[in-house]
Amino acid sequence: MTKKQYLCIQRSQPNGDCGKPSPAQMEEMFAKFNAWKQKFADNIVDMGGKLGGGQVVTSESATGGPFIEAKEIIGGYMILQAESIDEAVTVAQQSPGAIMPGSSVEVREIVTP
Amino acid sequence: MTATVLVEHFFRHEYGQLVASLTSRIGVQHLADIEDAVQSALMSALDSWTIAGVPNEPSAWLYRVAFNKLHGELRQCVRRRQILRDNVAETMVLEETSDFYSATEAQTDLLKMLFVACDDEIPLQSQLVFALKTLCGFDVREISLRLFTTETNVYKRLSRARSRLQDAVTQTDTLALVQMRVRLPAVHSVLYLLFTEGYLSSNVEMALRSELCDEAMRLTTLLAEHPAGSSPETFALLAMMHLHRSRMSARQDGAGGLLLLEEQDRSLWDQAGIQVGLKWLAASAVGETFTRYHAEAGIAAEHCLAASFAETRWDQVCQCYELLAQTTASPIHQLNHAVAIAEWKSPAEALAKLNEMDPPPWLTESYLWAAVKADLHQRCGHTSESAHYRAQALSAAPTPHLKTLLERRLAQPNETACQQISPVTGLGLAVKQIPTAKQNEQRFCDFSNPRQKRHLP
Repeated sequence: MTKKQYLCIQRSQPNGDCGKPSPAQMEEMFAKFNAWKQKFADNIVDMGGKLGGGQVVTSESATGGPFIEAKEIIGGYMILQAESIDEAVTVAQQSPGAIMPGSSVEVREIVTP
Repeated sequence: MTATVLVEHFFRHEYGQLVASLTSRIGVQHLADIEDAVQSALMSALDSWTIAGVPNEPSAWLYRVAFNKLHGELRQCVRRRQILRDNVAETMVLEETSDFYSATEAQTDLLKMLFVACDDEIPLQSQLVFALKTLCGFDVREISLRLFTTETNVYKRLSRARSRLQDAVTQTDTLALVQMRVRLPAVHSVLYLLFTEGYLSSNVEMALRSELCDEAMRLTTLLAEHPAGSSPETFALLAMMHLHRSRMSARQDGAGGLLLLEEQDRSLWDQAGIQVGLKWLAASAVGETFTRYHAEAGIAAEHCLAASFAETRWDQVCQCYELLAQTTASPIHQLNHAVAIAEWKSPAEALAKLNEMDPPPWLTESYLWAAVKADLHQRCGHTSESAHYRAQALSAAPTPHLKTLLERRLAQPNETACQQISPVTGLGLAVKQIPTAKQNEQRFCDFSNPRQKRHLP
């Protein structure tokens, strides 16, 4: 059975990270991220990346962000593969993107015909 | 994706290295911008490396990113000033290249930064905080936690050091090897303080304390291996650090309680570390100089080499204390000397030594003084004096761990045979030259007096 793919959208509160992390904290975050990446290497299809600024385009216009709600910022995305949404959720739940305070990850199945 | 594994404390140590290297190239007057650029480069690394993997030369990567950020920032700054018709000849700064350079140069930069910070005009505590921030990469919160003081205090000390360095801009560029030599004793003092803050603090958890010791040893090793710092005095300081650090993990029981020297499991001592310490001690025995660091390393070595508490060569320990008194007279050393005399000769002679002293109030008010007195009186059979000092020691104990230790140590008036307050490690602060963190607060927070003398002689 082929695995399904899931799009993970990471969001964080604009003021979620209070202050800059110290080098020691960065070290810790880096270690956590790598441990997670190693643990779920089979599930990770594309590490994706951070999302920068952009515009919303309709047939009439192109408008600058913020796009959805000001209280949440979409920080980045990645693509996972899993047998089921439950498995994908487990992987996402343990990701550093979800662990950070004020952060959340939305997991959506990528439905392909 | 490469599989490059980062060494321990890579981010924190890179922070110090980058700040030092950029300061060396661009000047200490840009320190604030430099620190911002370095912070931001580390953040970029965190974002980029988690996704793309660590590059082959992570240090060079970081240097380039930090340099480019700084370059952009400074160019904007110059442009702003030109608009304001403020004629500033800062364009030369921008002509620097972002080429990464050798590890030796990098180490020189790091040491240079340390020497720059060890300015007589900056209070010792400010030097320490500055070193922890810029060289060791701790942030203000982490420093306050480790030095057991408030964040506000750390800020104050930090800004004091920074503003002095801003005023003394030219020094960074002109600090030649000869001038560095002149500052060497000041550098030793701050490294010694960094180590003792870790080794002797009774307020901070073990893991955090050993980190301070490791930082002190990292910088001192760098110093010992560099032409600017390789001297018998540096070797002795490094020997002392290794000899103490090797026994550090045995100072606590499984539950984090403190252990007396005679209670410690000597098999837990790090024999490899002791050997390194002895190697440096041998290297320090060159030339005419005999410093306090030689004496303190000598005392530490005696304890390391003793197969058991009972087999400690107390005569040798006492001799070291006598030498120490000649180089650095300190009431704390006298107190420790008395403790060693009690083992070597008798508790009565130790008491006689203490009675000859004219101890300062900060010592007589400390639990350590009271505890030693209680112990010696107890062993001499002076029951009421002993009880008096025992009560004083318990009420003055700064932490629950110490209180527990004192209760155990001073509890049994009948079992006096092999009991004593052990020098150097027993109470965790017997060699304490620097007063406790709280006393430091009182001693070093007087920023109104910039010329305040160093506490270390």
